[in-house]
Amino acid sequence: MSENYKFDTLSLHAGHIPDKETGSRAVPIYQTTSYVFNSTEEAASLYNMEVGGHLYTRISNPTVAALEQRLAALEGGASALACSSGMAAMHLVVSAICSSGDHIVASSKMYGANINLLQHTMPRFGVNTDFVNPNDPEAIKSAIKPNTKLVFGEVIGNPGLDIMDVPEIAKICNSKNIPLVLDATFNTPYLMQPFKHGANIIVHSLTKWLGGHGIAIGGAIVNGGNFDWGDKDKFPTISGPHFALGGISFWEEFGPSALIAKIRAEGMYNFGPSLSPTNAFHLMQGIETLPLRMKKHIENTHTILDFLVNHEMVEWVKHPDLDTHPDHEVAKRILPKGSGSIVAFGIKGGREAGKAFIESVKLASHLANVGDAKTLLIHPGSTTHSHLSSEAMKEGGLTDDMIRLSVGLEDINDITKDFERGFKAVKKLNK
Amino acid sequence: MIINFKGAETYLGTGGKSLDINKRTLCFLHGSGQNHLSFIQQARFFAYKGYSVIVPDMPAHGFSDGNPCKSIKENAEWINDLLVKLNLKDVVIIGHSQGCLVALELNRILKNSLKALIFVAGSNEIPVNQFLLDLSKENPQKASQMMVTWGHGIDGDMSINKWPGHSHYGEGNNIMCMNKPTALKYDLHSCNDYSNGIDAAKNIKVPALAVLAKNDQMTPLKSGLKFVELIKNCETHILDCGHFLPSERPMELNSIINSFLSKLK
Repeated sequence: MSENYKFDTLSLHAGHIPDKETGSRAVPIYQTTSYVFNSTEEAASLYNMEVGGHLYTRISNPTVAALEQRLAALEGGASALACSSGMAAMHLVVSAICSSGDHIVASSKMYGANINLLQHTMPRFGVNTDFVNPNDPEAIKSAIKPNTKLVFGEVIGNPGLDIMDVPEIAKICNSKNIPLVLDATFNTPYLMQPFKHGANIIVHSLTKWLGGHGIAIGGAIVNGGNFDWGDKDKFPTISGPHFALGGISFWEEFGPSALIAKIRAEGMYNFGPSLSPTNAFHLMQGIETLPLRMKKHIENTHTILDFLVNHEMVEWVKHPDLDTHPDHEVAKRILPKGSGSIVAFGIKGGREAGKAFIESVKLASHLANVGDAKTLLIHPGSTTHSHLSSEAMKEGGLTDDMIRLSVGLEDINDITKDFERGFKAVKKLNK
Repeated sequence: MIINFKGAETYLGTGGKSLDINKRTLCFLHGSGQNHLSFIQQARFFAYKGYSVIVPDMPAHGFSDGNPCKSIKENAEWINDLLVKLNLKDVVIIGHSQGCLVALELNRILKNSLKALIFVAGSNEIPVNQFLLDLSKENPQKASQMMVTWGHGIDGDMSINKWPGHSHYGEGNNIMCMNKPTALKYDLHSCNDYSNGIDAAKNIKVPALAVLAKNDQMTPLKSGLKFVELIKNCETHILDCGHFLPSERPMELNSIINSFLSKLK
């Protein structure tokens, strides 16, 4: 009897049922590089992609596959592929779809590494990107050229927290037959499932909320299966004959899963950014509690927003769930459960005040990560961007006084108490 | 490959190999609302084993244009004409679900070229409830989603897949979305209206194989077992899965078919 299990159940179970031999309730860690073939015929079948199975862990692994299938189920996608990091996922998608001479339209307000890849690295391989305001659908439409092969953005931008109007952008991409690729790390499938809004491909940094405990780096691509790759002139390496496997057409042979089949056969095979089985296990442990954690992340975020908005030492607070945020209405529409647990705020007193605050808090951890169960903080002006002048920071959408906060799961009173300690230090400095 | 057939672009999956009319040809027939992608893990497998393989997208399904066939008989005649056009003279028909009904009718039409029949998750009748018939007309996408959910066993619910990273539900829904919106309605009506199954099954003279699914909610095992009783000397296997046997148990199915084929003259 089909059960059509719900999100919370799939978070715990999808991708694994206990095997008959051992009955192991947890997903076993298949810490192996390779798999014994029962016959030369079976080996050939796997190499020729005649049937599914595992032949070498760089390409696939049973523990990693359980994670992939869990992600596909949670996102409502046709297929998924896990890899060594979110940036590896991003590069795998770009290199699978684009070739030299192709063009990308991307959001101008994204994570620095995503911008670096598209602005500096890919042009060396003949793939150029125009960056446009993600909140301006007309600008995105105008930037699309005949050789544009994908539109890329972040559902919730990092670090600016801009919200992309996914349904609007998806309509534009759909009308131009271009896939919409979204980094959905900050929202996770718990807060929003981009395929339901018309997106075609999702990339995740699993390191963040999905893994949720700051113990394993990983990334994933989830393929919606809802994009028609059949235009052989536009997507020749997906729908036309590919050099691999005697001229295979991934679109004809794999249909909705063409992109993932291609990435596995080409990207994983040739570049090799595989995820270790142990890290896949750790990440799955995180996903098991994703719904519980996300509820608490959002609850704590809303409490801390109240605290910060009303604090005398705080100059400004930015979060899409605040009605002062320019994308608040879009956020309400596409992220009704909440717009994530990253908060940006400015401390009265500028760069020195930010530094003093960061150095005075004890419970919140000062580090360069987000999405941990623990509360994390960073002051870009005195760390990641300390080499930049105030003016240069402004050009990048950052300010001297800005603190990026990743709200954790602690008792929120302990966090506000900790922050008061930081504000006290700032007050002392300002005197 | 794409051919022009009966005035419409028609897609034939060949498992990644060229069609060789001098070899034995395995012709796979997809089920209601499906297309050649139902047989992802059979087409390449048997093409690489040295058989010629064709997996036609029926009219209005998958990559094929044209208008959907409106009865099982019309489906069978379309396939027969296709086999004639391709000059295929040594054919094994492998049907899944609705494809089994088409195979039964083909048994009545095809003369010397038919060498064997293979029924996967099949029966001599596939009655469809009125709710699904109505829904396939009013909201084919919703009807497809329901069929994908009903059609899979526990592997669908739990996102267990022999192909690493693939989801039965996600993939299944999108495969059905590739068809023209009216295709499902005509498929389901064709199944529901078909009534020649008992006679057709009794008249099978070629070797026959049936692979049934223990947890099949579309063509229940009970119905499948009655069906195989009608066929003289039908080799029968039951696998522990749902209706979408070709993707749920690909290795076991391929192995059973391969063994059956090796015994044919």
